[in-house]
Amino acid sequence: MTLLEVRDLCIDYFTSTRVIHAVRGVSFDVAPGERVALVGESGSGKTTTALALMQMIEPPGKIVGGTAKLNGTDLLALRGDAVRASRLANVAYIPQGAMNSLNPVLRLREQILDGLVDHGQRLDRKAADALVAGALKGVGLSPDLARAYPHELSGGMKQRACIAIAIAMKPDLVIADEPTSALDVITQKQVMATLIAAQEEIGCGLLLIGHDMGLMAQATNRVIVLQHGLIAEDAPVGRIFTDPQHAYSRMLIDSVPTLGKRAETAAPAVIAKPEAASLMEFDKVSKTFGGGLFGNDAVRALDTCSFRLADEHPQIISVVGQSGSGKTTLARMVLGFETPSTGEIRYRGKPMAAMRAEERRAYRREVQAIFQDPYGSFNPFYKVDRALSLPLANFGLTTQGGSARSRMEEACEAVGLDAGEVLGRFPHELSGGQRQRLMVARALMIGPRMLVADEPVSMVDASLRMTILGNLQRLKDRFSISVIYITHDLATAYHVSDYVLVLHKGRIVEAGLPGDVIERPEHPYTRSLVDAIPWPDPNRHWGTGAPDRAGWDARQIIRGQSAGFVLNAAG
Amino acid sequence: MTTSPTVQTRVETIAEEAEAGSLRGVILGVGRYLRRNPQLIVGLILLLGLVAFTTIGRLFVDIAGAHPLAGPASQPPSAEFPLGTDPQGRDVLAVMVVGAWLTIRTGVIAGFIGILAGSAVGFVAGYYGGWADRIITWIVDVLLTVPAILFLVIISAMLQNGLTSFGMALIIALLAWRRPARQVRSQILVMREAGYVEMAKLSGSSGFSIIFKEIAPNLMPYLISSFIVAVAAAILASVGLEAMGLGPQNEPTLGMTVYWIMQFSAFLLGLWWWILPPVLILIVLFVGLYLLNAGLDELANPRLRKRT
Amino acid sequence: MYIQRILRRILTLLAVIWAAATLNFFLPQLAPKNPITEKLTQLAETSGISGNQIAVLTEAFNERFGLDQPLWKRYFDYLHDIATFDFGYSISSYPTRVGDLIGGALPWTLGLMITTTLVSFAIGTLVGAYAAWRRDSLLMQAVSSVLMVFSAIPFYLIGLVLIYFLAAKGGWFPISGGYSLFSIPGWNWSFALEVLHHSLLPALSIAIASIGIWAIGMRGMMVTVQGEDYMVFAKAKGLKPRRVFLRYGVRNAVLPQVTTLALFFGQVVTGAVLVEIVFGYPGMGNLLLESITLFDYPTIYGIVFILIVTIALSMLLVDLIYPLIDPRVRA
Repeated sequence: MTLLEVRDLCIDYFTSTRVIHAVRGVSFDVAPGERVALVGESGSGKTTTALALMQMIEPPGKIVGGTAKLNGTDLLALRGDAVRASRLANVAYIPQGAMNSLNPVLRLREQILDGLVDHGQRLDRKAADALVAGALKGVGLSPDLARAYPHELSGGMKQRACIAIAIAMKPDLVIADEPTSALDVITQKQVMATLIAAQEEIGCGLLLIGHDMGLMAQATNRVIVLQHGLIAEDAPVGRIFTDPQHAYSRMLIDSVPTLGKRAETAAPAVIAKPEAASLMEFDKVSKTFGGGLFGNDAVRALDTCSFRLADEHPQIISVVGQSGSGKTTLARMVLGFETPSTGEIRYRGKPMAAMRAEERRAYRREVQAIFQDPYGSFNPFYKVDRALSLPLANFGLTTQGGSARSRMEEACEAVGLDAGEVLGRFPHELSGGQRQRLMVARALMIGPRMLVADEPVSMVDASLRMTILGNLQRLKDRFSISVIYITHDLATAYHVSDYVLVLHKGRIVEAGLPGDVIERPEHPYTRSLVDAIPWPDPNRHWGTGAPDRAGWDARQIIRGQSAGFVLNAAG
Repeated sequence: MTTSPTVQTRVETIAEEAEAGSLRGVILGVGRYLRRNPQLIVGLILLLGLVAFTTIGRLFVDIAGAHPLAGPASQPPSAEFPLGTDPQGRDVLAVMVVGAWLTIRTGVIAGFIGILAGSAVGFVAGYYGGWADRIITWIVDVLLTVPAILFLVIISAMLQNGLTSFGMALIIALLAWRRPARQVRSQILVMREAGYVEMAKLSGSSGFSIIFKEIAPNLMPYLISSFIVAVAAAILASVGLEAMGLGPQNEPTLGMTVYWIMQFSAFLLGLWWWILPPVLILIVLFVGLYLLNAGLDELANPRLRKRT
Repeated sequence: MYIQRILRRILTLLAVIWAAATLNFFLPQLAPKNPITEKLTQLAETSGISGNQIAVLTEAFNERFGLDQPLWKRYFDYLHDIATFDFGYSISSYPTRVGDLIGGALPWTLGLMITTTLVSFAIGTLVGAYAAWRRDSLLMQAVSSVLMVFSAIPFYLIGLVLIYFLAAKGGWFPISGGYSLFSIPGWNWSFALEVLHHSLLPALSIAIASIGIWAIGMRGMMVTVQGEDYMVFAKAKGLKPRRVFLRYGVRNAVLPQVTTLALFFGQVVTGAVLVEIVFGYPGMGNLLLESITLFDYPTIYGIVFILIVTIALSMLLVDLIYPLIDPRVRA
């Protein structure tokens, strides 16, 4: 028995000169109570397919063919008011932008009830109160929140509220479009658990849209892989992860880093000799924003910390934390974009605040960065070449005119880019992956001693992430560059780094070698983070334990030091 | 394993698409864009038409006719005076040719000075921040509460004797810098944090070169749009002051014409050939500037872009 | 929190009023002309008083208006006077007090402007919202284009066109004035009707342009709001289009419009000076023009002060209203 039967679904987008076949003859089934993943990278047609089931394709898009029978009724053949009536009652939708999906000027109560009222339900005040309270409790929210406005809720609470609204009429099918993409991993796990519990409670089918194979392994029964608007593979979750039939499915699965398969390259931990020349040193550095004369609240972005990075032993230091943990503040202080509120930062033994002009110049050249948003890193007014040629000119790295071009070409090839294809273009003409690799090429060309990589792959398609991280690793080995890798993603940190710092609310809570910190976490916060990683392995269950929030403020744990990086205990 | 489907088969061309870079391609592209953004083209046509009227008009019309007693009084349109004459014996067509020019010139001068001074002030406040920013922002805020019309009215009333239309432009420029200063400041605040500015710092660029090579080029669209808004505001102010009788006394500006129309009760006398031309020219001028700005705004910021 | 913010706002407003009033006092002092001499010279030209007599008269007038006092004393007297809304005597229409001149003109202006502003706001906002909602309909695109053109034209130019076609040529409306020359102002129906008849054209010339302004502003905001995630979710919830339009779309898009409306009221006194002049309407615009051409400084001070207070009040109005309509700033 099937709940949903999609056959030959075709959706086109029309521009003035072209037709883009966004979805090309897609067919699949969903059984009652089944959770089906619709996976693909951006532009694969996954969201378009889902929106079509509610006839929510906006012009210039158009459904040009196919059927989608839900319990025997063709959803695509509905016309007029029946389209509206089937939404929420039969097919419900949980939107992607959890942060902005609730009407900012209406209380939650009204946003839960208005859908019911418009589907003909008549409720007196008492019945309505009971219904709202039940809906909120069903997703783990307090009934008192009925009177709250969206801005009073956290991101996770907003997404729970969206779930409560969507399932209020016990629909036959729920479509969840990347419901956790804006949330941190710990909240993601809890919200997914809530969604699955609610879905099992009402026994509806669930179509979960996303790009994270790990999440799909944990949350669904069956995975449909979409590529270029076609189904590449449609298989039960137990089989697709062990025996993918399509090269693209395999690539998606392989692009998710897992623990335990780490290539041990790092030398065993040794305590760096104190007399070794230091490259960068944080001496009791902290950073506080705000406060002062005008009395806005001061925010402690980074608690006092001290560490020393030696000039020898180049290595990758990962700084892991969620948003607001202070990891970006740390990176910006390393780059000299922020000055510490207390303490001193020294580069090659020289305090940054007291550098002479030529020392400052050398520091500028030797400490480089790669930022999260590769598009924003390019000035949209110029061709991309300028991002590479500017440092060459400013730092006097070339003397002859001809060699600038050849150095740029060399750098492109070193990161696997075809120089002829990318140079001479404007930034918007390149893909996200190409732009970010150009940024790596730029850093490489300058030949720094130290590189800060601030979330360098979080805005890049999954298939390119490991490639770019691999570039960073080769950079380190070939040119002896120390890398500070800032990320929210424990799994990639596990793979690329020699040493890991875990930051929580501006405090380093745990530090050590990746094999220790991430495989055998000791601090309750690190443990919550590791527990929340969705493994791309349906046999390794995610667990249902709630995070130990009370323990997150426990004292710092430092396990082992690395060659060339010395972290002093807080205090 | 199956092979992956290619992207190419996903896109189909349904209309003629000339290759990029060829002249034909450029013309096709521009044509298609203008069909989507008619405001730009209508605005440009209106403004260029007006400029043509006042420049080419000079070749065919005797400008001396724009002064009193150049002809008989209150004559309806005739072969000699295509738009007739006013009660003081000015040739209305000559007045329009000269007046449109004076009005446009006043707007452009005041707008240009306003943008120049405003963006300098805005740059300093936005880029350097700190106390400079606080003081400048406070001054601009207070000056924005002072009603512009009164400020202008008092100054031009004080200077009225011997005021030229160029002096008028300078008076208006005294206030025209406030809004550009504010807009430029807020744009700079955003751009200062942009990734490419930080990249330029990492590439060893100096503060000076960051302002002029990184930020300034990206500010151009805003400056052009602010300039047009400032020109429109300056024209609005100058014509308003002139219509109140506070403009230059001896120059045939459009606003002065409106003033004389009211002084001479032209409506009661039925001198339609005197009333309608300045009103129409001013409407064309304001609508043209507005549409041009709306069109440029759409070009720079396609938020309102219509679907095709 | 709310009370505290309002109190802080009121203090800021007092500071702004003080700063603007000071500017208002010192600016004319920079003028190279003495208002009294100017005024008397004008009189002399028309009535043939000799130079000697002018000097005597000037002194007498300076004493009467306190213009012979040192600057700092005049400044503090001025601050004291405006704080008690006492603007003294008008120079040009002595012995009428400035307060009486303003009291005679202000109701005309406020009546005209407040009514037209509210009506145009209501019509313009709804039309603009609908134009964005039905963006693909050719009719709405045409309506938008027309509104856009109207929004660009200054009020008084529309006024001139209306006078020409509807009053001078059509003869359906009076060309000028707030009421007929022959009638006596009073609280009766026939006079009220006459006032209405006279103010219809000025009101119409303001309304045509301002409906355009409100509609274009609302249309832009509504287009932005339509791209928001909550609009997508609202449609996915199967809400009736009417509810999506009003409770989700208009309700959010109107917020900045309300701010603009409150600030618009700050311009209520001088917003249509030229319309009043063009129509010979007995409001603040004509009073202002008269006092400026006659260098009647006490009257100018009075008008400017009223203006500064209205602007300040309108800013306070924004702060009072905004938390009521937007829960996010209530905090």
